[in-house]
Amino acid sequence: MAQLRQIAFYGKGGIGKSTTSQNTLASMAHYFDKNILIVGCDPKADSTRLILHEKAQNTILQLAAEMGTVEDLELEDACKPGAGIFSPDTSGGWINCTESGGPEPGVGCAGRGVITAINFLEEEGAYEEEGLDFVSYDVLGDVVCGGFAMPIREGKAQEIYIVMSGEMMAMYAANNISKGILKYANTGGVRLAGLICNARMTDREYDLAWALARELGTQMIHFVPRNNIVQHAELRRMTVVEYSPSSDQAQEYKELARKIIANDMKIIPTPLEMDDLEDLLMEFGLEEEVLEEEIGKSAEL
Amino acid sequence: MFILGFHFPADMGNNVPDEKVVEKLDNSGVDFDSVNEIKMVSESHGVKEELSYTKKDTFMFKALVHYVKAVASTDYMIYTNRYQISELAKRLDSDDETMALCKKFDSMAQFKIVAA
Repeated sequence: MAQLRQIAFYGKGGIGKSTTSQNTLASMAHYFDKNILIVGCDPKADSTRLILHEKAQNTILQLAAEMGTVEDLELEDACKPGAGIFSPDTSGGWINCTESGGPEPGVGCAGRGVITAINFLEEEGAYEEEGLDFVSYDVLGDVVCGGFAMPIREGKAQEIYIVMSGEMMAMYAANNISKGILKYANTGGVRLAGLICNARMTDREYDLAWALARELGTQMIHFVPRNNIVQHAELRRMTVVEYSPSSDQAQEYKELARKIIANDMKIIPTPLEMDDLEDLLMEFGLEEEVLEEEIGKSAEL
Repeated sequence: MFILGFHFPADMGNNVPDEKVVEKLDNSGVDFDSVNEIKMVSESHGVKEELSYTKKDTFMFKALVHYVKAVASTDYMIYTNRYQISELAKRLDSDDETMALCKKFDSMAQFKIVAA
């Protein structure tokens, strides 16, 4: 039996982590027969909707609240088999889905949901299911909160893929996440496995993403171009792989899936100092150089 | 690490020498001589452009033939592969025709490709 690989998708909020991760994992299951457990670690609970063809899955925290405590919860209540081609009843790989959930906006710690969910899944034997090849964590936003760093802090996720684009804040976030990985690399064994550029189709985006990858000591494993078919598929709550398997975009996700399955490049990242990151952004025209004496001066003076 | 779809072991780091990529191409088993022309169509904002490339003595030609024969499952050209081919061709080739194609490859346009 192949060793279980635990991967995680991190990245700036709104960068397209859930879309990218679901389409990639769908390709891993559909084209390469991999069996996958998705653990959505986002209070929005949107990490599995394209696999389940549902608006939002009932989360572990939600179900636990309804039942009284998490101890009253059974695995089958919180872990659902994928719909359509991702069901265990069809040929090829299957995908099981679970969402940690979180508190109402502005109340409590969202990271706690992640911790509770992972502990629950481990205790209930979700990671021991026969034939399981990958556990994938889809984690909200940046690693500013220790709770959201939990999958890497506790050594659960071993290989991290950072979803980014050639935009300034996405680059900052990718660098910050690398700092988080570096912090826990020695204690938990987590490694950076690559950047995935979910392209905004801006000038020199490929070059910029690769430049950051080189600085971090990793690879830009794939450049995913923007394509409206992704949105069309999402309207039907489907991945592109299922919605239009012969489409050009499905070829992109298939290639990314192939590379993730074969990837052996897992490194301890070398994050940039803020000045170096700004220099990099300036080199690619994302920031304009400003004279020292102009900083803080109104444009109307 | 992946370049032109080839896997390079992690111990080679993230800066694989160009000659190692060329070596992989040469050992890929693809019959480069059997192709005389690469035909491409680029499309950007609804504007299509037909392109032909015949410079058989270049890295670019070899990489494109390999892409068509060994990588592609349709006529769609994967962006990452296209950018990587351009990046390498800019270092390994020097003729004007190839450099002009590199410039087109570096754009955000979508490319379809077939061997003729």
